[in-house]
Amino acid sequence: MPELAIARSGLPTRLFRSLRLPLNDRFAVFGLLIYLVFVVTALFADQIAPYDPTEILYTEDYDLAADMRPGQEGFILGTTSLGRDVFSQLVYGTRSALLIGVTAAFMVALIGSLVGLVSGYFGGWTDAVLMRLADIAFGIPFLPFVIVLAAFLEPSIWNVVLAMALVLWRDTARVIRSQVLTLRSRGYVDAARVAGSSDAKIILRHIAPNILPLSFLYGSIAIGWAILTEASISFLGFGDPESISWGYMLQDAFASQALAKQAYYWFVPPGLCIILVVSAGFFITRGYENILFPKLGR
Amino acid sequence: MTEPLLSVRNLKVSYAVGGGSVDAVDGASFDVPRGSILGLVGESGCGKTTVARAITRVIADNARITGGEMIFEGTDIAAIPERQMNALRWRDIAFIPQSAMNSLDPVYTVESQLHEVLRRRGGMDRRAAQARAEELFEMVGIEKSRLRDYPHQFSGGMRQRVAIALALALNPKLVIADEPVTALDVIVQRQILDQLRELQAMLGISVILVTHDISVVAYVCDRTVVMYAGRIAEEGPMEAVLTRPMHPYTMGLRNAFPDLKGAASGTLTPIEGAPPNLASPPPGCRFAPRCPFALEVCTRAQPPLRELASGHRVACHRADEAPVLRELAVRTETWLVPA
Amino acid sequence: MAHLKAALSRTLQLALVLWAVVTILFLMFRLMPGNPMAAYIDPTFTAEQQEALMAQFGLDKPLWEQYVIYLGNLLQGELGQSFRYREPVAERILALLPNTLILTFTSLIIAYAFGILAGAYLAWRRGSAVEKVAIPIVLTTRAMPEFWLGMVLLAIFSFWLGWFPAGGTRSAGSDYGGFWGLYTSPDFLAYLALPALTLAIYSQGLPLLLMRSNMLDVMKEDFVTMARIKGLSTWTVVVRHAARNALLPVMTSFAIAVGYQLQGNVVVETVFSWPGLGRELVRAVSASDYPLAQGAFLLIAVVVILMNLIADLLYSLLDPRVSHA
Repeated sequence: MPELAIARSGLPTRLFRSLRLPLNDRFAVFGLLIYLVFVVTALFADQIAPYDPTEILYTEDYDLAADMRPGQEGFILGTTSLGRDVFSQLVYGTRSALLIGVTAAFMVALIGSLVGLVSGYFGGWTDAVLMRLADIAFGIPFLPFVIVLAAFLEPSIWNVVLAMALVLWRDTARVIRSQVLTLRSRGYVDAARVAGSSDAKIILRHIAPNILPLSFLYGSIAIGWAILTEASISFLGFGDPESISWGYMLQDAFASQALAKQAYYWFVPPGLCIILVVSAGFFITRGYENILFPKLGR
Repeated sequence: MTEPLLSVRNLKVSYAVGGGSVDAVDGASFDVPRGSILGLVGESGCGKTTVARAITRVIADNARITGGEMIFEGTDIAAIPERQMNALRWRDIAFIPQSAMNSLDPVYTVESQLHEVLRRRGGMDRRAAQARAEELFEMVGIEKSRLRDYPHQFSGGMRQRVAIALALALNPKLVIADEPVTALDVIVQRQILDQLRELQAMLGISVILVTHDISVVAYVCDRTVVMYAGRIAEEGPMEAVLTRPMHPYTMGLRNAFPDLKGAASGTLTPIEGAPPNLASPPPGCRFAPRCPFALEVCTRAQPPLRELASGHRVACHRADEAPVLRELAVRTETWLVPA
Repeated sequence: MAHLKAALSRTLQLALVLWAVVTILFLMFRLMPGNPMAAYIDPTFTAEQQEALMAQFGLDKPLWEQYVIYLGNLLQGELGQSFRYREPVAERILALLPNTLILTFTSLIIAYAFGILAGAYLAWRRGSAVEKVAIPIVLTTRAMPEFWLGMVLLAIFSFWLGWFPAGGTRSAGSDYGGFWGLYTSPDFLAYLALPALTLAIYSQGLPLLLMRSNMLDVMKEDFVTMARIKGLSTWTVVVRHAARNALLPVMTSFAIAVGYQLQGNVVVETVFSWPGLGRELVRAVSASDYPLAQGAFLLIAVVVILMNLIADLLYSLLDPRVSHA
């Protein structure tokens, strides 16, 4: 891994550069573009969606607009059995997906990186304790854990974020730790210590910049995990009934016999959206791996 | 004189690198006589390993044999179809790799790897293969009780013996040994080379021994081919090439290595500089940029391979002055200031 | 025996992990909002039942004492009474375990058989058009919500084409006579097909990608080149040497995948109304049947940890460099 040039440009520029976005990888750029589209959709959901996602709609003849087919009465993707607009739900679903995805990923990457950093840099009993904690986290079945947690707490989209923060830091922490160990064994950390730099300074200046791309990589995997987990939890009925998410849509469709009604327009689009966002994360990850581990031969 | 076992004529091998191609071997010609050991010597990157691998026709994915002939027992094995070539591999032409650690499959016992070639390539049944495996271990001096061991359970020298046993399994006519002792310490090197020599004489086979170490050549070889930057610099009987070298590169090479027998041969003098980049080789003699005796003609014209003594050929414009150059070449200061 | 010692210390380590998970579970269910006794006692139980459970789990005692009693009960396999079924939790979940395991193993065996072959093939054909198309498709299958895939398959093959039943494990009134009679009957297999296919499609990506990248590494090894120089057939080179070596980490990942799959089963079992551990967990949590939820969670955790251990042991068993050290 090439060392980071210590350029004397502004901090934001340096920070952005140190993320080393894989802009020369076609897959990664495709992934970033998908993210961009979803972010824009989430931001302008009010403008894009033709209806309120929870509003019960009626046809011009004042009948309940239930189970409309796509295009019928001007509903782009049809309506649900309760007469709600599928397309509007889909658009608003980007909000909770991105909100959960980004916060959970941020928490996972943050906690994982901190644990890995401290564990790898200080070693000794700190390392031993933290790594045993990681072992325990690996022993917890994740989805059942989220379900039990969601059942005890008030239904909220943050349950998924909390559960991920409590459990999923383990993978990131292990990888960051081994990366810190190799960085620490390099000459310049010793050199800095001999020169009288404090631990904090060494970590900030020499180690943190080099693990940032790895944190970002694991963060982009966690976005996908978070969205998939939220979808599963909502599908099982432990989600927040107040917020419209793709998982909620799928649960609604499943419970309303959409499968038997062959209402593909209802349950296929939310699934496709989930696939798109999650695979966008994978594609970005792949681009990163090509940069970070060029020897993988891809 | 009997016909050689293998005649390589004007062999060219190129690698596709980036958008272009590099001629790693650029017109190599030499003979491998029957029942003798031929040393193929040169610095790393000179193309000697590529030549060795080209003879098996198992070369890197981006490499291609782009010209020349390899006449093995009257057949041009550079031209025969892959199927026919595959039939020759290991039955006629076997290979001893540099690092037996990496070239033995770690998940099978050595017995199973011997059985693999004996049965799948030699057509033996289980019983015959077992007898042959034991016989081979006896030949290379390993107890047959160790047949059931895995490669990682052997020491470096022992693994190299296993590799020799494997190579001899089907009684090949030619064994190509690619740096067979490089990874070993000097004492083990001698044991392995002694054994190789002994088995070669006993079985009457031919060996091509590829090495960067001229003292290894001096220790076991009958003939020597010296390669430099993808071409043959000098070729001849080992004694003649090493005691009366005619190419300045051979003279320099001789200065750069200690004697395998341990006798100090004066100070070691390395050849200054590095071999040329083969993507854009120098127009004339490829050694000219490092040669202390280079003339103006050397930088312009490629010297042809000329036979100056019986069986002793050299590609140097100043080969006729060789006795004088040899005098100069033994002095360290000659090599300190490249011309 | 160095590897025996390593295996022992690994077993001990995972036993500690199991103890930690058990403790976390205890704290979660005791410290949850509401009546702490609700973890074991349903208000509709009779007074005698309530008292018996109070005594059995020491629910009137301080927390630490409850913890000791809890551990003691666990060691005896005592997990309390299910609120809904009015029967011991242990019996209930052990009865459901076979259904979950059959679904898990069937799908994983299909996924691994396919993934290993396809991964080896894609590595062998690296750089080809097939590979360029296949890899993004595989990544996409990894990005699918499993339950959504199940829904789509159900809508197509069950509701539209009518090839497979929509849920459950058996047709009404069918009787199979014994364990093997059930699990080999065409009726049962028809019920098994869609959920197993769903999980298999989702799971094949891991072995496939792992096999492929291992193969790519192994193909660069000297012993593979040597196998070619030996004149062995392409099949022997690719399968006996390259694939055999690449297979090692894939095989150990199987055990870990069983653990992951058990977690994923929670949703797929729900979609297909498959009476397994995961669906029971969901139903228990929904119905506030805490003892059952606790028991199901615990059993899943035990299998996950056990599979991690098996993965470690399997690796040292399969790799002669470790087993013949």
